Amino acid sequence: MSKTAPDALIVKDLYKNFGKLEVLKGISMEAHEGDVITLIGSSGSGKSTFLRCMNLLEIPTAGEIHVGGEYLKMIKNRRGKIVPSDKKQVDRIRTKLGMVFQHFNLWSHMTILENIMEAPVHVLKRPKKESKEYAMELLEKVGIADRSHYFPAQLSGGQQQRAAIARALAMDPDVLLFDEPTSALDPELVGEVLRVMQNLVKEGRTMIVATHEMGFAREVSSKIIFLDKGVIEAEGPPDYIFDSPDSERCRQFLSNLI
Amino acid sequence: MFDLQGYGFLLVKGAKLTIVVGIGALIIALLLGLVGSLFKLSKIKTLAVLAETYTTVMRGVPELVSILLVYYGAPTLIQDIAAFFGKNIYVNLDPMFAGILTLGFIYGAFTTEVYRGAFLAVPRGQMEAARACGMSAVLSFRRILLPQMWRFAIPGLSNVWMVLIKATALISVIQLPELLMNAGIAARSTHKPFSCYFAASLIYLLITILSIGFQQWAEKRASRGIRRE
Repeated sequence: MSKTAPDALIVKDLYKNFGKLEVLKGISMEAHEGDVITLIGSSGSGKSTFLRCMNLLEIPTAGEIHVGGEYLKMIKNRRGKIVPSDKKQVDRIRTKLGMVFQHFNLWSHMTILENIMEAPVHVLKRPKKESKEYAMELLEKVGIADRSHYFPAQLSGGQQQRAAIARALAMDPDVLLFDEPTSALDPELVGEVLRVMQNLVKEGRTMIVATHEMGFAREVSSKIIFLDKGVIEAEGPPDYIFDSPDSERCRQFLSNLI
Repeated sequence: MFDLQGYGFLLVKGAKLTIVVGIGALIIALLLGLVGSLFKLSKIKTLAVLAETYTTVMRGVPELVSILLVYYGAPTLIQDIAAFFGKNIYVNLDPMFAGILTLGFIYGAFTTEVYRGAFLAVPRGQMEAARACGMSAVLSFRRILLPQMWRFAIPGLSNVWMVLIKATALISVIQLPELLMNAGIAARSTHKPFSCYFAASLIYLLITILSIGFQQWAEKRASRGIRRE
């Protein structure tokens, strides 16, 4: 975790309400290039919402987001809610934030190869041939090159998630966001996805990962953030979080897992 | 016993017109329904209310009444308005034009609901993944939502088509020589109503059976990647 590395993603004082329910109550986070930050906490603690706010799949109620030094412009609309003021900026920033979902969300009407080529060809306007070669390279990397012409429904959950990771990588994002990438998988398929993610860590990718995989979090994180009831209860390097967190709630959460 | 006495050609001619009216109305209904469903799902309230009013009215008034209202009612209404402004005009609607337009508008209300359900049936995550890749609202609609929507819409749209093609028989009341009207002419001329109307029903049945074949083909196409072979 290098303090001198350039900023990749900064979130300041983020709030999110769903109606009267306050899900996030002022959360800040700084990710520098090469950081791997894992978000842990029980279901409903706000991990996913926090992650989804980073690429504006959820519009925060208040707060600031900076991606690669660029401030995401927000304005108040007529009803006093803040909304992104520049839709083109949002789309452009999203291309820099690759997202991997809990339920993969591969496009079911396209083959795996088409899934991976879709955004590079239609959003980044890269040539088809080049995109195809790159897609095959990525499929090779996640170990499912032999499945490129299958449809998502014909693959196992683990294979689908690896394809989804390849889809995110195809955009050459600056930051990868993982929203509980192994939570929907059969236990025996979790390993193959985590191994792919470990390789990404080794490449020095900047990653924000919401997860319940504590072994993985401990091994790869430069920083762990423990979220509870919409606030950061504890944060720090893995050794601190797992061995001697000051937060009673954090100790309790971790002891309940084992 | 089953002798059309040379009136078969009249039935075939009528059937052709029935198909033309049916397909014409279907095209209008398919396009109108797409717009209507997007209005209904829109965040802009005015559009949603507009579409809601449209579907309520068109589904609430009997087809026959709408047809009579447009064909006989609309021209006199226009004449009366013109007279009010001191102009004397004579408006005459082409029955084919009136028929296609009216049926298209009526069944557009039904397809609106079919499309709306189909759009809602596409899992949310599909669009989220598209937007997360930086695809714009328009691009993700065209590349992700629209192609996946058909799979859910086709059974309902086929249903609408079946009802629509049979509803073309109502157009006979505005003197359009479609299948039913010609069958009536043939029946009166030959004094063989059974043969003539029976032949007409067989033609309607033939059209619907061919439609089912088309539906199965379209459904298979729209289910690319979903159906296990």
